[in-house]
Amino acid sequence: MTEKINQVRVAFDIEVSKAVNVDELEQVRVKFLSRNGAIAQLFEDMKSVPVSEKPALGKLLNALKNDAQVAFDERKKTLSQSQEKPTSSIDLTLPGRPKPIGTKHPLTQTMDEIKKIFMTMGFSVATGPEIETDYYNFGALNFPPEHPARDMQDTFFIAKDVLLRTHTSPVQIRTMEQQKPPVREIMPGRVYRNEAVSARSLVSFHQIEGLCVDRGVTFSDLKGTLVAFAHQFYGKDVRFKFRPTFFPFTEPSADMYISCFLCKGKGCRMCKFVGWLEIMGSGMVHPHVLQNVGYDTEEYTGFAFGMGIERIACLRYGVDDLRLFYENDVRFLQQF
Amino acid sequence: MKISHNWLKEYINISLKPATLAENLSKVGLEVGGYEDLAVKYEMFVVGEVLERAKHPNADRLSLCKVNVGSEVLDIVCGAPNVTAGQKVPIALVGATIPRNQHDPEGKSFALERAHIRGIQSNGMICSAYELGLGDDADGILVLKQSAKPGTPFSKFLGLSDVLYDMEVTANRGDWLSHIGVAREIQMITGKKASLPRARIKESATLAKKHAAIRILDKQKCRRYSSRVLKNVKLRPSPQWMQDRLQSVGLRPINNIVDVTNYVLMETGQPLHAFDYDTLAGHAIVVKCAEEGEKFTTLDGKERILRSDTLMICDGEKPVAIAGVMGGANTEISEGTTTVLIESANFDPSSVRRTSKYLGLSTDASQRFERGVDIEMTLYAANRAAELIQEFTGAEVLKGSIDIYPKKARPTFVSLRVKRTNKVLGTSLSKQEIISLLGRLELTPAAQTKETVKFRVPSFRYDIVEEIDLIEEVARAYGYDNIETKTRMTVDFSKPLRTNSLQDEIRNYMIGAGFNEVLTYSLQDRMKGHLMADKAVEVLNPVSAEASVLRTSLVPGALTVVQHNRSHGQRDLRLFEIGSVFGLRGEQPGSTLDAYVEEERLLVLLSGNVISAQYGSEHRATDLFDLKGEVQALLSKFCLDKYRFIYYDSASALIESALAVEINGTYAGFLGEVGKSIAQGFDIDGALFVCELRVADLQGGWTTEKKLIPLPRFPSVRRDLAFVVNTGMQHETVARAIREAGGTLLTNLVLFDLYAGDQIGAGNKSLAYSLEFQPLDRTLTDREIDAEVLRIVKHVEATCNAKLRAL
Repeated sequence: MTEKINQVRVAFDIEVSKAVNVDELEQVRVKFLSRNGAIAQLFEDMKSVPVSEKPALGKLLNALKNDAQVAFDERKKTLSQSQEKPTSSIDLTLPGRPKPIGTKHPLTQTMDEIKKIFMTMGFSVATGPEIETDYYNFGALNFPPEHPARDMQDTFFIAKDVLLRTHTSPVQIRTMEQQKPPVREIMPGRVYRNEAVSARSLVSFHQIEGLCVDRGVTFSDLKGTLVAFAHQFYGKDVRFKFRPTFFPFTEPSADMYISCFLCKGKGCRMCKFVGWLEIMGSGMVHPHVLQNVGYDTEEYTGFAFGMGIERIACLRYGVDDLRLFYENDVRFLQQF
Repeated sequence: MKISHNWLKEYINISLKPATLAENLSKVGLEVGGYEDLAVKYEMFVVGEVLERAKHPNADRLSLCKVNVGSEVLDIVCGAPNVTAGQKVPIALVGATIPRNQHDPEGKSFALERAHIRGIQSNGMICSAYELGLGDDADGILVLKQSAKPGTPFSKFLGLSDVLYDMEVTANRGDWLSHIGVAREIQMITGKKASLPRARIKESATLAKKHAAIRILDKQKCRRYSSRVLKNVKLRPSPQWMQDRLQSVGLRPINNIVDVTNYVLMETGQPLHAFDYDTLAGHAIVVKCAEEGEKFTTLDGKERILRSDTLMICDGEKPVAIAGVMGGANTEISEGTTTVLIESANFDPSSVRRTSKYLGLSTDASQRFERGVDIEMTLYAANRAAELIQEFTGAEVLKGSIDIYPKKARPTFVSLRVKRTNKVLGTSLSKQEIISLLGRLELTPAAQTKETVKFRVPSFRYDIVEEIDLIEEVARAYGYDNIETKTRMTVDFSKPLRTNSLQDEIRNYMIGAGFNEVLTYSLQDRMKGHLMADKAVEVLNPVSAEASVLRTSLVPGALTVVQHNRSHGQRDLRLFEIGSVFGLRGEQPGSTLDAYVEEERLLVLLSGNVISAQYGSEHRATDLFDLKGEVQALLSKFCLDKYRFIYYDSASALIESALAVEINGTYAGFLGEVGKSIAQGFDIDGALFVCELRVADLQGGWTTEKKLIPLPRFPSVRRDLAFVVNTGMQHETVARAIREAGGTLLTNLVLFDLYAGDQIGAGNKSLAYSLEFQPLDRTLTDREIDAEVLRIVKHVEATCNAKLRAL
């Protein structure tokens, strides 16, 4: 019986609020408050209730009746007032005068969000040139000359020893050359790879790189910092794993994976049915790199990480063709 | 790189299931991209027996078969001419994926469904060799041997029970490009011992040394050359098991000699080459560099032009192989070969890499030499190959190997400090734990103190040369997952925290002003690259002509965006971009960065209508002054009064009616209308207005520190004045005259109307201004204002040839 009373209360509340004019409201009154209405019916039902329950139920039912009457009266007042107003002079349904809506490019938005998370962790932003020297792009980062590691990033050359940077890592070197530890920087920017253009690869794209060098920085901190980032950016419930890999400028190096946020790790098209997404490369800064910028490697250790912005934006927004980002169709841009 | 599970089991005992093994290998950095279990490759395929064959009632060419598939008898419609009762045949059950469709031009796979063929239900399919992916015969069904038992899973019938892993090997671990290398990694995971089989050879009494002479002339590039000579070999196909193994990892069987060299390569990672001994002039091997421009024909029949740094294997007269890359056609194993010389050598990685790159020729051998090969493996590999060839052909193996090893490599020892290890990893491992972890990698302690352990590095781990390499091995062996994820870290406040950059602020401002940010390619074609500047930076090795020149301006990219949008019906555009542009400082590209200019720019673009068509307000086309207003607002916001416009007649085809923008007295960029001919080049027929500014100059003018100017305490007074001037008179001249006369009292001046027409006579225009006077110390009287206005009117009339117009 209690349940029944509550059901009627809920149903009444919904219908009263739905009524947009006095006529509709009158129908609600007939349905609930009239002599044969739902509330009157409840009073009828009370007769068959055991005596012990009557006082409590009676109280509940009376409250419903009073509340319903008050709500009905108030609604009626509101509706009749609005109907009294003259409607002829202004057509309020005319559209507002549209203003152009500005949008940041989805890649900028993705970069901004990543920057913001690391900035709250005490990182600041550094940038560097896109035309780089062989030394900053490779040599200082511990790529031996003529090593297969250089094949990992096919390079556009401009002149002897001058190239288009293949990653944002040269900014690490430039930053460390200019300042003493502690260093805590993130470095967003455009990079270039000599690859055939397709839906999945472009000759240039964006990366964001991070670097943290100080006394007592360990692989544990690397994991902690990147997991904290992943939880902020991808959600608190993503799982993670780190797998050994190879970069010339970090050792030990690790690829970071998170559980696919679309399928929660069950496997779907986005994660190619493995349940995991590789989101960034990372590692402890190689002592050679620290030596190259004149840091004392016994005193200082550090970690670095890097991720591709286009890839992350593709995952986040469900974009499956990288070229869309550079076509700049305003119907595309205005969705973000 | 394909690795076979069964093959691995030759070197290590594996009890892990493939999925677990794959996961564990990935955990230690040997990433398994995927694996294929051959036992389930033909999951819905079984051996069937054709019990009856009848003609299809409705089709001449089709037969109706009753086929026993073990558990039941199926009705199957078959179109093959060769099907008869009593045959054992491969049956695809409903639900099977047929590897190749012989009715599809590309042979795409398809899923088999229960089908009605000319009115008769078919509950499966009898397959051809082509359809199964087992051969090219598509003319009839594949008939199996009579002993095949109906109901046997087809993979089992074929003896397929292997699992093939697809390994992604990192650039530093060339030792993983072999089965023994992978087996050693499994040793680290499971602790079970990995080892190569012993090579057992029955040698004849004849000394190999007497039959062949080997000399290394370039000892830098060739570090070791080991060899075996075998007589009376008989060229045949190699045994089926070896052919199967090679095929399983993607190699084509050729003959027993070549197959053995490939097998040992896949086994040990040591590239081998077999020469036809009788074709070697003087039965000699000389390792030396080629003559510049020398020509040489490799095994693949292609003629190669060599350089003076290309290391060659030569005989007494001529080159016979490109060292570490590919053998020559002149000494190739062929039908008539009876005596074989096996080369098992070690070459300098960068030499092989240079050669392979220069020739554009990458082989299984070169890929391994480039990454490095265990120098202590040459002799074993030569012996192992000799053993297998002897086993297959009964060849005579001459006594002794020829092993030229000019500078024997000393064992590597690397020290590891326990404290340092923990300092890098954030662990608290003890010395004993570290020794035990590294022991599984065959890193053995040679000496130790309380804090430090000196490890002997096995020769196959030539990548380990210093302490950090050992620390990485500790981390891998300990497991990345077992290292604590520490989520607390101190933040450093010793340096000022940088907040939003100017670029961030500009972006925020622009989107507030209703602009869409675009990002365009910085590599362009030559036409676009040279549109705004003559000296552009070009890429030496472009991937395509469309991406060969670095942009000199953001304008061409923006025009491309307008072109795209207009062709998709979007005509009213408000766009901006912040990005770098590039140029040459001098005439030529140089080898330092000084030779290049790289600067960030802001581009603002307007096109189409100011306001889209709507009720109640007129829509009109954008003009230059809409853009000027946007730019003025932007500059006022960021640079306050540190900017000005310079009016000049650009008269260029590129930008018509252009204005230059100066910030702090320096040229910072321009704004104007894109020339019609340029716009047409991008299929744009309407007017387009662009502004491009240097971000560095905006940065220079960026005013972040602001001080309050007290608000006026006395009321201001407004007066309107209109002047009739010649059409040629510029607003700026009139406005300057008003300001000069108005002095500090005049705080605001707005042009509120511009009129030309009959009322004021031809050749004239009317400029109407609203003036605001703001006294700082008193309230102005009417008389004072009248005097002020009169002074202004007189001054303007005198200097601008103007007449006050009655309002």
